[in-house]
Parts: sequence; C-alpha cells; structure tokens
Amino acid sequence: MSDGREKSAWRRFADWVNGDSEPIDRTTQYVMNRRPPRQEEPPELHEQRERLRLKKFLGLYPLAAGFLCVALIAILFATVIYIPPFGQPGNPTNNEVSRHYLEYTEEETGATNAVTGMILSYRGFDTLGESCVLFLAVSSVMMLLQRDKNNTDEQTLHRLRREDAIERTHPDNILRKSAKLLTPFILLFALYVLFNGEISPGGGFSGGAILGGGLILYSSAYGPEQLSRLLTRSLYDTVRITGLMAYALTYGIYIFAGANGIKLEMEWMMIVIDLAVGLVVACTIYGFYTMFQRGKV
Amino acid sequence: MTILENILLAGLIICAAAAPLCKRLLATVIVYLAFSVILAVLWSMLQSPDLAITEAAVGTGISGILFFLTLKKIRALKGTRDE
Repeated sequence: MSDGREKSAWRRFADWVNGDSEPIDRTTQYVMNRRPPRQEEPPELHEQRERLRLKKFLGLYPLAAGFLCVALIAILFATVIYIPPFGQPGNPTNNEVSRHYLEYTEEETGATNAVTGMILSYRGFDTLGESCVLFLAVSSVMMLLQRDKNNTDEQTLHRLRREDAIERTHPDNILRKSAKLLTPFILLFALYVLFNGEISPGGGFSGGAILGGGLILYSSAYGPEQLSRLLTRSLYDTVRITGLMAYALTYGIYIFAGANGIKLEMEWMMIVIDLAVGLVVACTIYGFYTMFQRGKV
Repeated sequence: MTILENILLAGLIICAAAAPLCKRLLATVIVYLAFSVILAVLWSMLQSPDLAITEAAVGTGISGILFFLTLKKIRALKGTRDE
C-alpha cells in the first residue's frame, strides 16, 4: 500500500471491509513474519485418521438421526394431545380480538376481505417488518452471489459463454411457446390478486409472488438478456427501494392520522400499501432467481 | 368431503416420509413440492383461500425454483444438459 497516505478514510474503511488492506501496525506484521511454518504430517497417517473419523461419524449418524426423529415425534404428539379440537366455538382463539376484526374491519379500514384488512392495517408494523426482512435477504444474497470483476475468473466466464451458446443453438421450444402463451395471463392474474386483495382472497404477498413467478418464467424461457434490457439494474433497485419507502411513508401517515383523530380516506392507502408489499416481494423473488442463476440482475 | 380430506392428509404423511428417503436430491425436491401442492389444496378446503394462494405460489413455485437453481449450482442435477 504505497499511496496509503493519499487514501481517504472511507477508502481505507472499504478496503478493510473487503479484506484488501494489509496489516498496518508493526506488531501484527512482526507476529505474521515470525510465525513458524506449519508442520506437514505424512499423507498416509492423515488419510488413516480421516478414515477413522468418517467411520465413527457414519456409525453414529443413523443412531443420532433416529433418536432425534423419535424425540421430535414424541414431543409433537404430546403437544397435539393438548390442542383444543378443531373448529369448536369455545376455543381460546375465538376471543374478542378476532371478533373485533371480523365485525369492524370493513368499517374501520375499508377492506371487505378481513384478512387483507388485518394484515395491512391492524398489523401493518408486522408486515412492514416482514418486508424489511425480504429486502435485507435479497441484499445479502447480492453480497454473496453477485459477480463482478473481482470475483469472476476466466473459467466461470467460459462456462457462462458455453451455456449461452447452447441456449442459442438449442432453444427449448416447448418452454418458449408455453411461456409466450402463459406469461401475459400470469402477469394479469398477479395484478388482479394484487389490486383486488381487499375484496377477494389475495393481497400483497401472494400477488407479488405470482408476479415474480411470471417474470422468472419469461426470463428462463427467453434468456436473461431479454428481460434485463427492460428491467435494468438501476430500475430494479429503484423499484425495490421505492416500494419499501412508500410502505413506510404511507403507514406512517396512517398511524399518525389515526393517533391524532384525523379522518382520512383509507381506500387508496390500502391499495398503495398493497402495491408496495407486492413490488418488494416480486423484486425479492426475481432477485433471488437472477442472483442464483447468473450473478447479476 | 371428509374422505377426500383424509386421503389428502395421508398423502401429506406419505410425502413427508418419502422426501428424506429418496436417493436423488432432485426426487427429494419434487416430493417436497408435491407436499406443498397437497397442503395448498388442504388450506383451501379449510376455508382459508388467502393462505392457499400464498402456499401455491411460494411453496410450490418459488421454493421449487430456488431448490432447482441450488442443485444446479452444486452440480447435483445429473443427466441434464448442463452436466
């Protein structure tokens, strides 16, 4: 690190996070230089010991697995005995909370479907946390699997090019034709489930999952380039971040207005929150697919 | 209705027991997806269509795709075009 002095603090911090920086303090360097080289043991001895370990492991593994299975089954059955019978009116789940939800959801949130009304308004913080979990999950998958010039070797590039060539010369006709036929209907159904979540079964999560599934079907049939021309990396990031922020903002207004007794029209808020959740879920699913498949959006 | 429900519940148990006993990882994933399909039908029979839609979309579609991609990444899909 010759130009260490010119580097900014941020640059040095980024190097440190990436593991590129050399140890600066002299004690560490001294210890690293003076460390004795590791002693190599003869390979036959090593092999013998590993084989013994493997044998011991394979002997114990079925025993341990069987014991764990039996213990788990016993615990679960013991729990099932104490669960109240299904669908009885006197069950502890039928308390005043669910009664309030069922009676007042339509009037208080404007959603005919009590499940969506409950998820997006009464328990909106819960759903906001789930959206954050999905957002963070796709971010960490990107950290692990994204390909750039630092972590891609010639072999991987060669393999990817070969796969592309196979894809071009031997297109899967059944997949292409069915994707061409099905994708518009899948996307339409996704939008129906997404926007009609207040009236019929569905809502943000399931609609977003179907939307992401449609995108994945199209992308796997026609190759990733076709879709990434339309859905570029910057657009993808924008949609993902805007979805989460729109949710936080709308729900913040919702809570603020409700706490201060301000009357608001709730209908459009539910639709905005629904759309935000759907976009976050769809982006998460599509991001997982592209990261696992190609290493880039 | 009860007969169909019992058949589906038996199918659930069979799928759950068969999934770890399969020799090939691909077969395990497919049996697991069958488990999800049966579960989605059962949710809709228990009058929770919201859950059924989500189970069908996530449990069958998305987790299946992720499992297949992972198998492809660790080169466990023997006999396919990529191997």
